[in-house]
Amino acid sequence: MDTRFGGSSAGLLQRLRPTRIGVADLREVADGLLPSLATTRLRLDIVQRTGTGSVVVLEEDERTVRVHLSDLAEQMTSAGVRPTADGIAEALASWVAHRPVTDAAARTAGIAVLDWRDAAHTTVGWRVVVRRGHVAVPWTPVRTADGRDVARTRAAASARAGDVPLDLRAEGPVALWSHPAVPVLATSALVAPERMIDRIRATGLSMPDMQVVITPHRPVACADPGIAARLAGESTEASVSLPWPRLAALPWN
Amino acid sequence: MSALPSDGHSAQILVPHWLAEDDRALLATVVRQALAGGEVHPVGVIHLEDVLTELHVAAARDAVWPTSAARVRKATGWDDDVLPVRLSAAELASLLSLTGLPEELSALLGGGTTP
Repeated sequence: MDTRFGGSSAGLLQRLRPTRIGVADLREVADGLLPSLATTRLRLDIVQRTGTGSVVVLEEDERTVRVHLSDLAEQMTSAGVRPTADGIAEALASWVAHRPVTDAAARTAGIAVLDWRDAAHTTVGWRVVVRRGHVAVPWTPVRTADGRDVARTRAAASARAGDVPLDLRAEGPVALWSHPAVPVLATSALVAPERMIDRIRATGLSMPDMQVVITPHRPVACADPGIAARLAGESTEASVSLPWPRLAALPWN
Repeated sequence: MSALPSDGHSAQILVPHWLAEDDRALLATVVRQALAGGEVHPVGVIHLEDVLTELHVAAARDAVWPTSAARVRKATGWDDDVLPVRLSAAELASLLSLTGLPEELSALLGGGTTP
């Protein structure tokens, strides 16, 4: 499912039998909304092109997104966006919030989290995300990026990740970590597993051989190895389970 | 001490028993009382302790991956507090051998997997 348009806006029926989003309706909403989303760094324009229709252009530092208004309307239709002015405005604002992360934003506000490395959801790796409201958008370094700059951004994001406030709940011998607003941030604590062990100990649970069960975008579960095996082994859902000392060696996405 | 496997691979087949919150709370109380009574065989003690663990793990499993149980609940019409509690044959046998096990729990655990 395409979540760039804010998946909660679409009901099941609307997704199964979507009502077409008209280009003219989208244009009308965009004309009113886009100027209000602009910042000193972010420019949002609708460029009229003869013969090929209008193009939405998002420019922010080194990142640029260009998409035909008709294609955007088509994608919104497929995602089941409500075909009302409010529905389209909500979807358009969400789409802008999902725009690529700039190098400057990653450098100054990036947070290290664990995310899936493959489509089959069998391996996880570190990546830098930037929070925009209830959304965390991944940063992808440009191909020509200086390796030292990328390393610095990742190191700063790791340091920042340790300070993300998370909810910790003990369910018997299992410690569950979650973020109240942005689910993917739940894994940010894993940059400092020894701090997690200390915080878990403060709840009355001792877990020196802590095993972590990771399903990116879901709460992180920590438990002794046998209990973690029982937890993850009996679920049909994708997860990666590993002893905490191996976290630091996970690759970057 | 635990009968749970620690090598990351499940050495035993665990069968789900779908229990509502009240049933799980009652089951935990019965097991704790049996363990406190000191009359359970040492091997049975291990299995019963693992049952207590599973009651927590079942809730944790649902917190991390709520979708699959929710799908079953939707298909069956069961209430939102019904969760799969996954027990091995040995754990189940230890439970069913408890003299203090209420009849309704015995029926839920031994007479099928529906709440």
